[in-house]
Amino acid sequence: MKKSYILFALLVVSFSSCFKLDSQLFNNLKCTQYLLDNYTGTQDFILDNSYKIPDSLIHIFTLQSREPSESNATQIYAIYIGDISKIATDTVIMYCHGNKWNMDFYWQRAKLLANTGNKNQYGVLMVDYRGYGMSSGTPTEDGMYADVDAALQWLNNKGLSNSRLMIYGFSLGSVPATMLTAHPRTMTPAKLILEAPFASSATLVNDATQLDLPPSYVTTFKIDNADEIKLVNQPFMWMHGLSDTFLNWQTNGLVVYNNYQGIYKEKHLIPGADHGEIPVKDGFVQYSSDLYAFIKR
Amino acid sequence: MKNFLVIFFISALLFFNSCAPSRLIRPLDKGQKVVSANIGGPLFHYSGTVIPVPLTSLMYAQGITDNTSVFGSVHTTALLFGVAQTDIGVCQRLYYNDSLHLGISVNPALNIAQEFWPQFSGGFKLWPQIDLNAYWEIHPKKSFVYAGFENWFELATQRADAQPQTTHWLFCPQVGYTYSRLKWNYSIELKYIAPNLDNLPNVVDYVGIGGKGTLAFYISVSRKF
Repeated sequence: MKKSYILFALLVVSFSSCFKLDSQLFNNLKCTQYLLDNYTGTQDFILDNSYKIPDSLIHIFTLQSREPSESNATQIYAIYIGDISKIATDTVIMYCHGNKWNMDFYWQRAKLLANTGNKNQYGVLMVDYRGYGMSSGTPTEDGMYADVDAALQWLNNKGLSNSRLMIYGFSLGSVPATMLTAHPRTMTPAKLILEAPFASSATLVNDATQLDLPPSYVTTFKIDNADEIKLVNQPFMWMHGLSDTFLNWQTNGLVVYNNYQGIYKEKHLIPGADHGEIPVKDGFVQYSSDLYAFIKR
Repeated sequence: MKNFLVIFFISALLFFNSCAPSRLIRPLDKGQKVVSANIGGPLFHYSGTVIPVPLTSLMYAQGITDNTSVFGSVHTTALLFGVAQTDIGVCQRLYYNDSLHLGISVNPALNIAQEFWPQFSGGFKLWPQIDLNAYWEIHPKKSFVYAGFENWFELATQRADAQPQTTHWLFCPQVGYTYSRLKWNYSIELKYIAPNLDNLPNVVDYVGIGGKGTLAFYISVSRKF
């Protein structure tokens, strides 16, 4: 019997380890080129030709992104829709995309934003976070913040003023959007727009288990939009689908919205919209109209 | 996003009480000892198929009397994540009918978890649980089938982001079969976790019934001493 005790103890010790599942959060998909309108993979929606962006207004380029703990910069890819020479006088939407795959998946969304209010109304910049699409490196939480800030540095170098910078975060993109509005680095966004945001990593774990489970059991992520939003004073727009089967609008978006204590906020709860369906269920025209009104107000 | 994130968040279920099979259904004989290994967990959709989460645990049990056994376990998958988790409890026979070979047992237990990596932090949790099972010995002292239910209690009043914790009771009906040999036991168990709770919206694509709860499947191997 002593042998069985020893065996039991050895098994316990041998299993003891230090795994966390942080890397499993990211749903990045590598690619060798960006196909944009020629992309034939699964998409949430495809816009008709009236939303087409002239080739002269599409710019794909690389940026060097370095998070504080890194000794070397990471090369990431960015797409800018608009006239680069007019950035200093344009209003630009920094679009922080969601977790799925890469910028090809979000190209239609970027086009929709560029055409908000009028044909080619706004400049739109988005990046593939490190490890996504053609961007080098491996996704990390800090890397994601650095990557979006690298994009803001590029806009800043082109002469964009804070007052003309709108930051828009969809799903996972709500994390860098909120963080860099609450804790500005290179630029301070004038307005914050969140579509189907996370509340926090703790909320996701609690929602999954129905229990008050410490998120640190499974992750070292510090994602906490619900707390960071308290530091945001800029006008804030929140959109969430009432049929979001992935991120519960009440335990995620509503908590963020309620915690906001800044100068102005508005919410758009879209009936029948699942995660990623807001532009479709709301209607492209209505979606653009609401967004345009918020940006112009 | 859902297919990939599911791996991440399913991990949280390591700590679900219901992510382990019932520890003891039939009390051991006085002085008898058992070590068992268990694998299995909630069923979920992944890449177009349905699989159980491969959660593992080890259990040691000992018969104190013919009607009372004590047990303790180590959730080995949780250890991989730097969390020491155990459930310790008692299996008490409440009733046994010699002619029908039918018994009823109750298992009060405490499920305790403490994070020890990356730091020995405030990540301490304690969940009381109590199982009630009825079993029928197909061949006395050998194989038996059982049915019962597990109850898991969340004591916290507040959850993430200072929101109220509204779920305090998780109810899990279960059925199982144990094939008993001289030195070894082999068990399978099907559990229905939280059939009273909606399983959407959720980051995990559970396999429930009518949008409620999730099914779970486990297998266990035990060595008797």
